[in-house]
Amino acid sequence: MQLQIELEILRASAVASIEQASDLKLLEELRVQFLGRKGQVTEILRGLTQLPAEERPSVGQTANVVKTAIAEALELRKATLEAAVDHAQAEREQVDLSLPGRRRRKGHMHVISQVTEEVLQIMFELGFQIATGPDIETEYYNFDSLNTPADHPARDSHDTFFVKPGVVLRTHTSPVQMRVMERAKPPVAIVAPGRVYRVDLDASHSPMFNQIEGLLVDEGVSFADLKGTIMLFVHRFFSKETQIRFRPHFFPFTEPSAEVDISCTICKGQGCRVCKGSGWSELLGCGMVHPEVFRYAGYDYEKYTGFAFGFGIDRIAMQRHAISSISYLFENDLRFLEQF
Amino acid sequence: MRVSLNWLKEYVDIDVPAEELACRMTMLGLEIEAVERTGDAIREVYIGKILSIDPHPDADKIVVCKTDVGGEAPLQICCGARNMKVGDKVPTAVVGAVLPGGFEISRRKMRGVESQGMMCSAKELGLGEDIDGLMILPEDTPVGADARQVLGLDDVIFEIEVTPNRGDWASMIGVARELAALFRKQVRIPKVEFVESGPAASQLSSVTVEDAELCPRYLGRVLTSLRVGPSPKWLTQRLLAAGQRPINNIVDITNYVLLETGHPLHAFDYDKLIENRIVVRRATEDEVIRTLDGQERPLRPEMLVIADARVAQCVAGVMGGATSEVGETTTRVFLESAYFNPVSIRRTSRALGLITESSQRFQRGADPEMARFAIDRAAALMQDIAGAVVAPGVLDAYPQPLEQKEVKLRYSRTHALLGAEVSPDDQRNILERLGFVCAARDADSCTLRVPTWRHDVTHGEADLIEEIARLHGYEKVPTTLPRVRQNEQVFAPQEGRVRQLRHFLVGQGLSELYNWTFSCPQDLARARLDGAGAEMVLLENPLSEKHAGMRTTLVPGLLQAAAYNVNRGLSDIAVFEIGPVYRLAGVEALPTQELRLGVLLSGVPEAPHWGQQTRSADFYDIKGYAEAVLDFFGAEVAFDPVARDTFQAGQCACIRAVGKEIGTAGKIAKTVAKDFDVEADLFVLELDLESLLSLPVLRPQFQPVPAFPPSLRDLAVLVDRVTPAGALLAAVENAGGKLLHQAEIFDVYAGERIPSGKKSVAINLIFQSPERTLTDKDTEKSLQKIMKQLETQFGAQRR
Repeated sequence: MQLQIELEILRASAVASIEQASDLKLLEELRVQFLGRKGQVTEILRGLTQLPAEERPSVGQTANVVKTAIAEALELRKATLEAAVDHAQAEREQVDLSLPGRRRRKGHMHVISQVTEEVLQIMFELGFQIATGPDIETEYYNFDSLNTPADHPARDSHDTFFVKPGVVLRTHTSPVQMRVMERAKPPVAIVAPGRVYRVDLDASHSPMFNQIEGLLVDEGVSFADLKGTIMLFVHRFFSKETQIRFRPHFFPFTEPSAEVDISCTICKGQGCRVCKGSGWSELLGCGMVHPEVFRYAGYDYEKYTGFAFGFGIDRIAMQRHAISSISYLFENDLRFLEQF
Repeated sequence: MRVSLNWLKEYVDIDVPAEELACRMTMLGLEIEAVERTGDAIREVYIGKILSIDPHPDADKIVVCKTDVGGEAPLQICCGARNMKVGDKVPTAVVGAVLPGGFEISRRKMRGVESQGMMCSAKELGLGEDIDGLMILPEDTPVGADARQVLGLDDVIFEIEVTPNRGDWASMIGVARELAALFRKQVRIPKVEFVESGPAASQLSSVTVEDAELCPRYLGRVLTSLRVGPSPKWLTQRLLAAGQRPINNIVDITNYVLLETGHPLHAFDYDKLIENRIVVRRATEDEVIRTLDGQERPLRPEMLVIADARVAQCVAGVMGGATSEVGETTTRVFLESAYFNPVSIRRTSRALGLITESSQRFQRGADPEMARFAIDRAAALMQDIAGAVVAPGVLDAYPQPLEQKEVKLRYSRTHALLGAEVSPDDQRNILERLGFVCAARDADSCTLRVPTWRHDVTHGEADLIEEIARLHGYEKVPTTLPRVRQNEQVFAPQEGRVRQLRHFLVGQGLSELYNWTFSCPQDLARARLDGAGAEMVLLENPLSEKHAGMRTTLVPGLLQAAAYNVNRGLSDIAVFEIGPVYRLAGVEALPTQELRLGVLLSGVPEAPHWGQQTRSADFYDIKGYAEAVLDFFGAEVAFDPVARDTFQAGQCACIRAVGKEIGTAGKIAKTVAKDFDVEADLFVLELDLESLLSLPVLRPQFQPVPAFPPSLRDLAVLVDRVTPAGALLAAVENAGGKLLHQAEIFDVYAGERIPSGKKSVAINLIFQSPERTLTDKDTEKSLQKIMKQLETQFGAQRR
């Protein structure tokens, strides 16, 4: 009986001191003091052996209850104290959420590259393959084989840079057509991006600029297919709402030839200064591959037909991003480059 | 080409408003570049009749007129002009009127006398240079009429872009033909009526064509007893509407007929022609002509001239000579209408730098049949306007009439090429409306004779199908998507890699540049790259000296871009460019073109952050980019010290990979930077991408993930300051054996607590075995072996 009373007293004092323990270190000391190997509860339990056998179960039971109660008190207090510690740490470590985050330097791809990739992506999805040709080109590929012989008036409009007799800076990406057709028999479906050159410099002309050429040759290719392809491209690249019109034009290497206008991207076709009030802006030139070009390529014009188109990457980049002068594209001003 | 709507209506009926006409023309291929309404700049100007002219009470140079403009009462108008008299009809701007230039007329007082409007001169109405006085109109002009109608200012002018293939569009009749075909109307060709009298042309003159190849047809007429003077109003108005300056009636008539028919004519003063005859021949060596613009022009034997018995009087088809120019004293004229070889005209025009209304038409191909109509039309007008006596007969040298072409059209081919259904009848009908004549036909095809003005129809069927598409309407062709089949060849196998590299570099924090690919030897000299100049591809007609040739390196362009930005206060630069350089490759071959990568760094290389100190870029930043790019391609790389004038001594590495030198990286020499106008430190990398792009794409092979824990050790050694850390690391890797998994330098230090002339290099080592957990004994053994190697090789001491 005596022991049971002692145990109850012990419980009372232990729980009281535990509840008042002010930090985790003190709490650990209390745990050792009460429940440790040499702790007070252990001591009492050790005394059990000296008790008469009939008393032992009830005292033992009491001892276990007390032990559990003290352990629970310790846990409870520990949780409370730990929460307080965490809280204090959180308080100390509070940050100013409004300060900017740590970032890597951001690189910017040139708008010409971005637009080129987007155009290529659309054409790849349609099944076109990429092809390239040299910037410094023979007159044969740049003109003659594209049905533009020497003394053809169409050469006037090209303002060609000459390297030496027979060699020019290509004035368009169209020579890639002939280079590909010489290498491969139909079917051929290619897009060819690249730099082109003309002796011209003002707010809307740069002596070096960028074009993309497209060529599809197979059995049964028609002008209707050309219209459908261009329309799909325009709707993807600009928007579904973009209006489009094909009007007759002249290129020596296509027949029939067309120029394609889209509703002005600035005024949405209402008419503004940029489109000279017409509501349309010129997008690209295209047409059915000229029989003479097929003759140069060694293709059978009776068996195959094809279409070709070409347009300025810089121009459509300017149209879509409202860039007012082409000179921005090649000035390399970081304040321009970093806008894209 | 400026096309006046009022004038056009003389040749074809047009029932649609001007806006719609412009649109229809554009959709026909006659691209309208501008539409101009002549009356737009003028408002509230009426025809007035001067009722009285009285002196101004207070001014000598001003008179006070009463002018009736059809209103309730005459207007009182003060006027400074002197050329009018009572009863004259003059254009009168009333209060509220607007004149060209936005000039508004208001009620005002001139020296105390009220003026209720303004009587106008031709110049004030934008109708010419005549400033001598008021524009006096014919007596029968109705008072009160709108001046715009009376003066022909109710016109619409279409500015048409004539494509190089359609020379026939550079004329009123040519445009009218096209519209007649479109609107299913008839073209009205003017009737030509005149009387021939006196001695025959063949008695007065002769035509000898010495070179029929350059001049397939030459027609001449002789006109006598004519009076040179100003042209009538209707004629000057037509010329002004077309943008031409009236000169005198004879010249104006030739210009008028040129605009009407598209066929250039030339009028010589008959009496200035030696022996009064014409010889069409090539120019002789050293022959010189003074052209109408007053310039002496040396001629060459490949140029065709129109000469008299002795000297060249005209550069054929390009410009007349000053000697035989028609002037006030001219009474007899030799009138020329010819068909010249288009290529010859084009070459001559380019060689002389003379582009004229005439040369532009001849080089596109004139109509040899129109030559006869044009000369008769001009003769009739000269008789009518200048009172000319037309000598009977035409001198016509046309030895070999040009062949009339015939083209066969298969109706099914139209369908195949267009993907649109146009019935055989419609196909044929369209072509006939355009002047083609059906020579033969069956169920599937027809053969058509090509009109003489259609020089563009030379390649057969496709030319005809284009015409059918044009008149049928491009907008009526359906839209379909083609079946796209790939070719088994790959045309540009490296292109995809280049795009990936671009994305990679942007991801690495670099922004992309696009430089022009021009360069010049001076650029190379400034960059101390003189050696490369000899291989530069030079242009025959460069834009400027700065753009004399094609670049052989990306470096000058990068430095210029740096200068551009630094000079605008943008000091933190991290940019790259991927682009070609070019090099001469022998006399026969095209120059080579090789793709390069350039990177330039300056200022702070990392994004600044408030919690972090900034540092300036140094060699290791640019080297890091080189390593990253080589890593991207999976290539082993070595950086060897090298001396290059472009770079600062001791901070320049030659980059070796794939068994050769493929680039350079380093700090730009101060003197070079200064020559490019930059004070800041610049770091540049240039790499040849060609050999890297041809490397096989990296396909990493799986290695088992280590099953046993690694053992980590740090090793710090003291070595001579000049010992390359790279060599140290290589020795460590070599001596470490199989168990050494990785060795990395994590600190290099020289200074306090380090003996002078020495540095401390600290290396982090990871030992690992795929078979077992390593014991301390294992690692210690390896470590000792490494240390021993470093001692013998570098005299290293462990710290």
